[in-house]
Amino acid sequence: MNILGISAHYHDSAAALVVDGVPVCAVQEERLSRHKNDASFPESAIEWCLDHAGLTPAQLDAVVFYERSMLKFERILTCALRSFPRSWRSFPHAIKNSLGEKVWVRGIIASHLGVPRSKIFFTSHHAAHAAAAFFTAPTRRAAILTADGVGEWATLTVGHGERRDDGRAGVTLVREIRYPHSLGMLYSTFTAYLGFAVNEDEYKVMGLAAYGRPTLAAQVRKLIRRTPDGAFALAPEYFEYHTTAARSYSSKFVDLFGPPRSSYDPIDLDTAEGRRFADCAASVQHVLEETLVDITRALHRETGLRDLCLGGGVALNGVANARILAESGFERVFVPPAPGDAGCALGAALYADRVYFGNPDREVPDHPFWGPHVDARELAQAAREDNLSVQDLDEPALLDHVAGELAAGRIVGWMDGACEFGPRALGHRSILAAPHSSEMRDRLNRDIKFREEFRPFAPVTTVEAAGRYFDLPPGGLRLARFMSGVFTVRPEWRSALAAVTHVDGSARLQALEREMAPRLYALLEAYGRRTGIPVLLNTSFNIAGEPIVNRALEGYSTFRRCGIDLLVAGPFVMTRRASARPAPLEEEIACSQSAAASGAV
Amino acid sequence: MAASLGAFVDRLLRPLHHWVWSDFDRRVRKLIAFGEVEGDGGRDILRAAELTPDPLLRRLYLAHAIDELHHADLFRKRSSALLRTRSARSSGLFDATPLPGGHGLDDLDIDGEPDHRLLAFLHVAEKAAAGRFAIYREVVDDDPATRAIFEEILRDEVFHMNYTYTQLARISPATYRRHVWRARASRLWKRYLRFAAVIAAVFGTVMLTLQYFVLVPPFAWLARRAEKREPAGWVPIPRERAESSTSLY
Repeated sequence: MNILGISAHYHDSAAALVVDGVPVCAVQEERLSRHKNDASFPESAIEWCLDHAGLTPAQLDAVVFYERSMLKFERILTCALRSFPRSWRSFPHAIKNSLGEKVWVRGIIASHLGVPRSKIFFTSHHAAHAAAAFFTAPTRRAAILTADGVGEWATLTVGHGERRDDGRAGVTLVREIRYPHSLGMLYSTFTAYLGFAVNEDEYKVMGLAAYGRPTLAAQVRKLIRRTPDGAFALAPEYFEYHTTAARSYSSKFVDLFGPPRSSYDPIDLDTAEGRRFADCAASVQHVLEETLVDITRALHRETGLRDLCLGGGVALNGVANARILAESGFERVFVPPAPGDAGCALGAALYADRVYFGNPDREVPDHPFWGPHVDARELAQAAREDNLSVQDLDEPALLDHVAGELAAGRIVGWMDGACEFGPRALGHRSILAAPHSSEMRDRLNRDIKFREEFRPFAPVTTVEAAGRYFDLPPGGLRLARFMSGVFTVRPEWRSALAAVTHVDGSARLQALEREMAPRLYALLEAYGRRTGIPVLLNTSFNIAGEPIVNRALEGYSTFRRCGIDLLVAGPFVMTRRASARPAPLEEEIACSQSAAASGAV
Repeated sequence: MAASLGAFVDRLLRPLHHWVWSDFDRRVRKLIAFGEVEGDGGRDILRAAELTPDPLLRRLYLAHAIDELHHADLFRKRSSALLRTRSARSSGLFDATPLPGGHGLDDLDIDGEPDHRLLAFLHVAEKAAAGRFAIYREVVDDDPATRAIFEEILRDEVFHMNYTYTQLARISPATYRRHVWRARASRLWKRYLRFAAVIAAVFGTVMLTLQYFVLVPPFAWLARRAEKREPAGWVPIPRERAESSTSLY
């Protein structure tokens, strides 16, 4: 069966293709359209998936959308009605937004793909999250928790998944917490309050939290009270996200926490105001963690299962994930590489395959590399055309050369194989650097990523070496597979790993198995042989505000615009300092001008 | 003719520009909007650099994109600096939609756009922007730092205007003038479409707001009553929802 999964229309749209029960490819629209968090209908992603599999739309057996759009519209309308007359500004916008396109998704899919309506299916938003988390995890039985801002009505669900002996598999969500009570929205409200972009910069709040102390946790707990059944409810008077589109927090919220930060003001942690913002971040992070730990602990008691699968945008919070692993009682915690809405495209396709069509379960390859492959020849051609030198090296020479350059403090743009599905760069579209000095961190923030100085960088190391440098609890390696957990750097290594050690001594580690990314693994080994420490700094290959690069030419244009020293794609290595300078543009324009003039004559 | 018409309109609107830039809040908002528009434009041109098969154009687009992204940075830094000087007044400043302005390419679909059309569009857009920035430079006479930014950008715009025209003449020697005219007409048409869309949106908003106050109140009352009956905490998920594969509900 050929099943196409689609997520779209909120943020981070994507498409994924499952053939005979196994994912074949998946890609976020932003990687192809080059618009960060592209939420539009993922035409390019669908086209690429079908091309990649050699299929036409007519050969699809099912197209599955990740959400029940009318149920979502019901929620939007109901919330507008409940908050009458305060919702008078947001009402026209919400109606136009929903009725303009989103509720007609069946027709949109049918017209875009030319497939009959009978082939179009729907899952609920959180079922897609749950399926993305469970069906991709190497476990037979697991409890499931999904949490995000909001799907249709649900904001958090719990349930379980099972692979049965008869080959069938299923996911059952048993209960949910409904909008407007939402851990994701609580966190996003603080994201907005702290002057960051909602649905995008939540990880900045997590990064900032390490600089603060949870001195305002009592105030945050006023916003979120626990219900007798172990769930939670938000105090609506502190929020406005459910009544207006203009602001997510109310005046009462501001009375409690003080004036919000303007997004145009830098956070200066040496000032009282900067420390207040850091304390706010630390406090909401603390309350989020304790709430999640409570809920997962109860889920563990209830199910008695060893494994937990986490899905939804909240599962991107690596600090909370690590606490869940440490304190909930679950022995293993699985977080897919794309736990957010993009991953729902894959989840929806897998859910339809296993649950709607009852197909037997198939093992899903345990890696994140489902996107387009890099064509290294593009890089070589561009370099030649631009009169830049590029080396074509065999594998051992390339690894040795790159390891040497990294050890000498150079920064490397690394493109290898298929691009990652999900927000993390896990070794195929990465910027790599030596992890040893804080100067390297500052240089990356200043010259390459152009981002805030308080944000940490992540390390990557081999699974074999991870325990030497990082304090990993049992199950920690699994969580570190897709960079989903934040763990403590062993104190004796913190100064040697200063660029990847956050201010609180933690790091969002990726522990790499050879089979997952053999080239990067070999590079880590080569680097380890040179320096004695097989750890590299690994950050996504993009500049702030842009999606992670996909094609070699996108890597090339990023390389040309920032302070990356080496660009590696396939066997080709381009080095900035060794590159011949391209001819000055004025000179070339003059040449082309005279050519044009003679042509015009 | 269209360009000179544009310049004439800009000259006519000079008092309006003066009014916009004379106020601190509007000035900051305008700079922020320019920062966003230049950034978007820069990313679009960057995309063009990644897609063009022409090596010289790739280098020129790349240089152009770097300029635009640098302009975005200049605008952002200047607006931040201004905000820091008078942050007390800026509360509520960003609730409103930014004022129109700049010369972004946000309504241009770079993918699938042939180079000659893109170059013609860029040439016309840069020329229009240069004219407008020249006026802005004059109306911010009281603010040397902002004026210096416009001066720097104007220098770049001259380069952008020239290279786009030269390259257009190179790749379409027989038809480049026609492409420029077509780009001008297309800009006018797109302006009309934007204007029509704004009018339609305003009309839609007014109609929906009227309906909101006329039709919604009884349903709002019912919705609030229903809300009071809803228990807080966990809600069981109905089994039929999980099993329904074709329902949008």
